[in-house]
Amino acid sequence: MVKQIDLITLLERIEAETGCQCEVYQGITDEDALYIPVEDLGAVIGMLREDFGCYHLSGITAQQRESQPGEIELIYHFWHGKGLSLLLRLPADDPRVASLIATIPGADFYEREAAEMYGVTFTGREETPRLLLPDDWDQGPPFIRREESDG
Amino acid sequence: MDKISIPIGPHHPLLKEPLSMRIDIAGERVLGGTLRLGYVHRGIEKMATQRTYVQDVHLIERICGICSHVHTTTFCLAVEKLLGIEVPPRGQYIRAMMCELERVHSHLLWLGILAKHVGLETVFMHAWHDRELALDIMEGVSGGRVSHAANQIGGVRFDLSPEQVAMIKENVEKLKAQVSGVLDVIENEPALRARTQGVAPVSADLIRDYCVVGPVARASGIDVDLRRDDPWPPYDQLDVNVITRPEGDAWARTLIRALETRESLRLCEILLSQMPVGPVTVRAPRKVPEGEVVTRSEAPRGEVLYYLRSDGSDKPARLKVRTPTLAVLSLLPEQLSKIHVADIPVVLAGIDLCIACADR
Amino acid sequence: MKAGIELKMLKNLINKTYRWAQKNSIWVLHYNTGGCNGCDIEILDLLTPRYDIERLGIIAKASPRHADVLLCTGPVTLQAKEGLWQIYAQMPSPKWVVAVGSCSTTGAVFYGSDMVLGGVDHILPVDIYIPGCPVRPEGIIEGLLKLRERIIHGETD
Repeated sequence: MVKQIDLITLLERIEAETGCQCEVYQGITDEDALYIPVEDLGAVIGMLREDFGCYHLSGITAQQRESQPGEIELIYHFWHGKGLSLLLRLPADDPRVASLIATIPGADFYEREAAEMYGVTFTGREETPRLLLPDDWDQGPPFIRREESDG
Repeated sequence: MDKISIPIGPHHPLLKEPLSMRIDIAGERVLGGTLRLGYVHRGIEKMATQRTYVQDVHLIERICGICSHVHTTTFCLAVEKLLGIEVPPRGQYIRAMMCELERVHSHLLWLGILAKHVGLETVFMHAWHDRELALDIMEGVSGGRVSHAANQIGGVRFDLSPEQVAMIKENVEKLKAQVSGVLDVIENEPALRARTQGVAPVSADLIRDYCVVGPVARASGIDVDLRRDDPWPPYDQLDVNVITRPEGDAWARTLIRALETRESLRLCEILLSQMPVGPVTVRAPRKVPEGEVVTRSEAPRGEVLYYLRSDGSDKPARLKVRTPTLAVLSLLPEQLSKIHVADIPVVLAGIDLCIACADR
Repeated sequence: MKAGIELKMLKNLINKTYRWAQKNSIWVLHYNTGGCNGCDIEILDLLTPRYDIERLGIIAKASPRHADVLLCTGPVTLQAKEGLWQIYAQMPSPKWVVAVGSCSTTGAVFYGSDMVLGGVDHILPVDIYIPGCPVRPEGIIEGLLKLRERIIHGETD
């Protein structure tokens, strides 16, 4: 059993080590969640693995909230004895975030799915080949809400 | 030797689902491989946002036919958390009992497929014949062998009568005897050991890096089982034995699933003997208040994660499903780089693929 | 003229024997075009001792070149439809197609999704439709027995 991380301790450590400003997100019922800036993702993940022993990435959720259509949100779900979710906000017209596959090879499939379903670009990896969509799919990311049609 | 790439699929005699692989071999050694998923992609996540929560329970059940109950259970748990309602204890016990029976039927199904690939055709016939006992139980209580529609938001759809409870106990007894025979074969049969022992061993560090879940992770010594670590009631009142093995090879993966079957039958008996009386469901409103929730469950193949966001209407705003096979498949190219050509079916069977789950 | 009639009677006898042999040894090929596996494991259940479809002369084969009947499950996803067509094209005549399950009949739960066609009869000519979600093994046997009736009467698409 992995030792559970206290959220306030984690927040203080992140701010002390990386200097980035994170805020606790209360919106997910019964789950610890943090908003972190996009550029600090690699540093936070490295700290979680080395200092807190939190290795297991359960999945990456990509979504576009109706209240903020100009943003794509990525949620990284971790498990360390209890759940921890890291939220990132990316601009919808050019969503870019650093890829994690150098540190967590298991994130490959999740990144590829977010890339093809929402058009997110993962920097630092060669390409994101298609995972689930058919080879002849040419209608763009199916989940993106476009202004002229109803997504 | 020169490298040759062999394409396998999408239709192939190894598996019953379409999956395309390109395997690189040099002589008898396999160098690696790549996968192409997507043949079973039906767009379930998008469809879920176009249907109401009640319709979604039936859609989610058909993500996968083998582990259908645990998918609907996790979805119903997520919606019930957002609604703030609690399932009555008897309903919780029936849900857990169906989950354990599903684990039994899934592991026996998998065992038959592995035995067929290894060459023990008789074990395939025996395992699937015994599996019919588990399906008889599920049919006797719910009306369906494979797709039971047992869950609804707020509880379960049916109650158990005393005759049904007696029937379940009788079938569980018979299954226990059969599973002991199967365990005997796995531990002592030289043909099975020769074909699976030492094949594609996976270290615990590799499991952690690739974020693998389920029996494949437990076969390499990782001690994680969400029935014990993140229990939904009534698992918090049960004492679940988590079985791990240190070897990490195909034989360990085989043995773990057989031992888990025996453990699931034991949990079924405890659930039946301790089942409380009372109603089995509560009424759930159609519109779900705004909110987000993450729920996790232990399916027969590992950790299932559901992320659900609601916007106050009667349809979900976003549903994200992460199935265990997707986590395990990322390890496949790595596993394939260590084996001979003849071991490919054993490795594929050992990770217990369910492409319908992975593709959604 | 008598020789002409006798020749015709001989031809009829040969055809009848040929169709009798065909109906008693149907070799099936099972292809999953993107279903949830519920129907597929019920089809595999037919090979097991409780339902034992081999007593009817039906064997499951792996190669399209050996098969008479294509058992399709699944709502035909866009990615899998090319494979379905190629398998059908490789099967030698006479051949029959059986759509097993509600998904391959109409698309069932997945009807309306952008990623599925919604039924095998969008691409292939189907002889027998077996509805169910999933189909019970007895239902599949009933469908295959109806197919035998079609074969013995010499109907084919």
